[in-house]
Amino acid sequence: MAATNRFDAIVVGSGVSGGFAAKELTEKGLRVLMLDRGRMVEHGEGYPYDGKPAFEVPARNVMPEPLKESDYFISKHGYVAPSNQSFYNDDRLNPYAYDEGEKFYWIRPATVGGKSLIWGRWSFRWAPGDFEANKREGVDGAWPIGYDDVAPWYSYVEKYIGVSGSRENLPYLPDSEFQPPIPMNAAETWLKQRLETQFPGRKLINTRLSNLTEDKPDQNRTKCQFRNQCSNGCSFGAYFSTQAVTLPAARATGKLTLVSDAVVTNLEYDPRAKKVTGVRYVDAKTGQAQVVAADLVFLCASAMASVQIMMNSRAAGTGRSHFDNSGTLGRYVMDHIFRVGVRGDIPGMEDLIEYGRRPGGVYVPRFRNIGKDEEGVGFRRGYGYQGSARRDPVKPEGFGASMKHAMRRYGPWQFSMGAFGECLPYKDNRVSLHASKVDRFGVPLMRFDVTFRENELKMMADAREQGEAMLRQAGLTNVTGWEDEHVPGDAIHEMGGARMGADPRASVLNGWSQAHDAANLYVTDGAQMASVACVNPSLTFMALTARAADHAVKQLRRA
Amino acid sequence: MSVRGTIDRRTALAGVAAMFGAALYAPIARAAGNAAAAGVPVISDGPPSVAVFTPAQRALVAALSERVLPTTDTPGAIAAGVPAYIEKLLADWALPADRVPILAGLDAIEKRSMADHRVSAARATPAQQDALLTLAMNRQLGTADDFFEAFRQLVVTGYYTSEIGMTQEREYLPVPGEYDGAFPYAKVNKVYSA
Repeated sequence: MAATNRFDAIVVGSGVSGGFAAKELTEKGLRVLMLDRGRMVEHGEGYPYDGKPAFEVPARNVMPEPLKESDYFISKHGYVAPSNQSFYNDDRLNPYAYDEGEKFYWIRPATVGGKSLIWGRWSFRWAPGDFEANKREGVDGAWPIGYDDVAPWYSYVEKYIGVSGSRENLPYLPDSEFQPPIPMNAAETWLKQRLETQFPGRKLINTRLSNLTEDKPDQNRTKCQFRNQCSNGCSFGAYFSTQAVTLPAARATGKLTLVSDAVVTNLEYDPRAKKVTGVRYVDAKTGQAQVVAADLVFLCASAMASVQIMMNSRAAGTGRSHFDNSGTLGRYVMDHIFRVGVRGDIPGMEDLIEYGRRPGGVYVPRFRNIGKDEEGVGFRRGYGYQGSARRDPVKPEGFGASMKHAMRRYGPWQFSMGAFGECLPYKDNRVSLHASKVDRFGVPLMRFDVTFRENELKMMADAREQGEAMLRQAGLTNVTGWEDEHVPGDAIHEMGGARMGADPRASVLNGWSQAHDAANLYVTDGAQMASVACVNPSLTFMALTARAADHAVKQLRRA
Repeated sequence: MSVRGTIDRRTALAGVAAMFGAALYAPIARAAGNAAAAGVPVISDGPPSVAVFTPAQRALVAALSERVLPTTDTPGAIAAGVPAYIEKLLADWALPADRVPILAGLDAIEKRSMADHRVSAARATPAQQDALLTLAMNRQLGTADDFFEAFRQLVVTGYYTSEIGMTQEREYLPVPGEYDGAFPYAKVNKVYSA
């Protein structure tokens, strides 16, 4: 391409995927421009409430109701609080077509670093069976890659970012390259022993978390201090974020240019060369638009935003994207289904308590429909539970000195856990560009027509039933289950819309996260997923991003 | 019932909610289910933008707050700034409708005080104020039956999120530095703040 280009590659977005793309590409010698629609947040100094107790945070760190209703009416489903408010999208300023189509919570960040600042940090590998399931079951959307293709990249990413966890040798939850696990507490250890005895084959294991349990001095990162205030931003750099990990690495190469407040609207395309020729963005502060070019473009704007940018990249007068010759762009959108849980009281151990605030808990890996025994449970795939045991102070009774002094004691151990279940890919679970409404940058609003179906709802009913049975048989008392409204997007694990596949007529990307319709375009965020497993996805995005960057640079060098 | 505290990123504010077994008073419930930079909407943090209470109501809120969480071997609600927190919350951090049960309850308590004790409730003796609060707690104030639980949640939340509540009544560990899941309860001096 033109020798006048200042950049070899443009990375759109700076979250877990974009940050990793920038790190990998710059370290391989490319001059990279990273664009992010959000405001700049620098590590440490950009975290206004890091280390602040509630009384030093506005409104005691409880989001005021009027502000929630005016500006954070979607973000409120994503755990926005005054201490992390500046990291969340202002839904009034940056809307989508939330009042049309099917109900969907599209929870978005507002800054460089994307959701990496506010993510849940649970980090799991996919299992071989997760990659194989669509094909094996005849579900539309066979993966063109398998576990062995990704495993070395999981290792590479895990060693770099730091994932704490325990080695378990489970066929359906491969171990990562672990730092030592964050320990279970006494009540969880008790439950583990009883649950695993009562339910052979089911496990309760340590959380797998991208919170460090050992320092990484080469990255200026300190191990977790057990404050459990991660989403305020962590100046210790104890959890993985772009700011703490990949951005410093990319900057250290001297080859990164980062532009914040840069809202990418669309990609320009040469249909003869089948290449992206430019990235158009609007400066959110000035409204000025410009087009930048590079040999390579990595689209990592987050699953739905990357799909939106691709859909908005179309020849004048046509409705179809340059990248949608397959007709599948915007389809097969998924999220995890998770509004089910169980809780109960654990008897005894009242002489023990937790010291420190742990940023995770324990995990019950998937046990449904694995291995050879398809159990006839009435649904496909499975779910895992995330939970924890803890003791809360005694609840207020009455008033006055007696109440005050009674609240100086802790109540019994309680355990609770919630299920995250796999959603199947459905062709008509789709997103589209609104026919007439545009945002302040002129981009058509996203419309969501995505629903959970019978398989997902049956799975959640089973998760509740099995959860209650496990806790009861393990000896907990006052066991109850709960179920809330299931709204896609609510788990903030939205994926798909530009899936990988071997067949260009049925998928948007090939097995290298590379667009079938544009050899120099890679889409390495959640948009590429052809299925979603039941585990938290960010680690897989990072591994696929590093893998794609390696492939892209090799292709570039070959050309 | 929803127990969202199961998932760690969802527990950021569960500490407040966990203090109550009862159904949560609306503004606290919404908050518990739940920054400054250029262009980010600013949260009102100064004095209340409107006067929610009359001077008499304000005095009564202070007196009743102190009866709910009195000064004992640690400071009480007034020293912890709870009355100001309540008025600020109702003025700027809650919806106008959330004031209704509080104002109705204060008025009912005032009327009952005049009837039972022939004195304005704010100037009643602590024993008389306790009797009035007990009537409210036992839902014997007629139309203001929603008052007690709502008011108690305001006082408890305001107190245990205040500096006094978090650092004197309870112990706040800014940087615990380690996690011990089998720590001897005998070594715990005070409940740890979230």
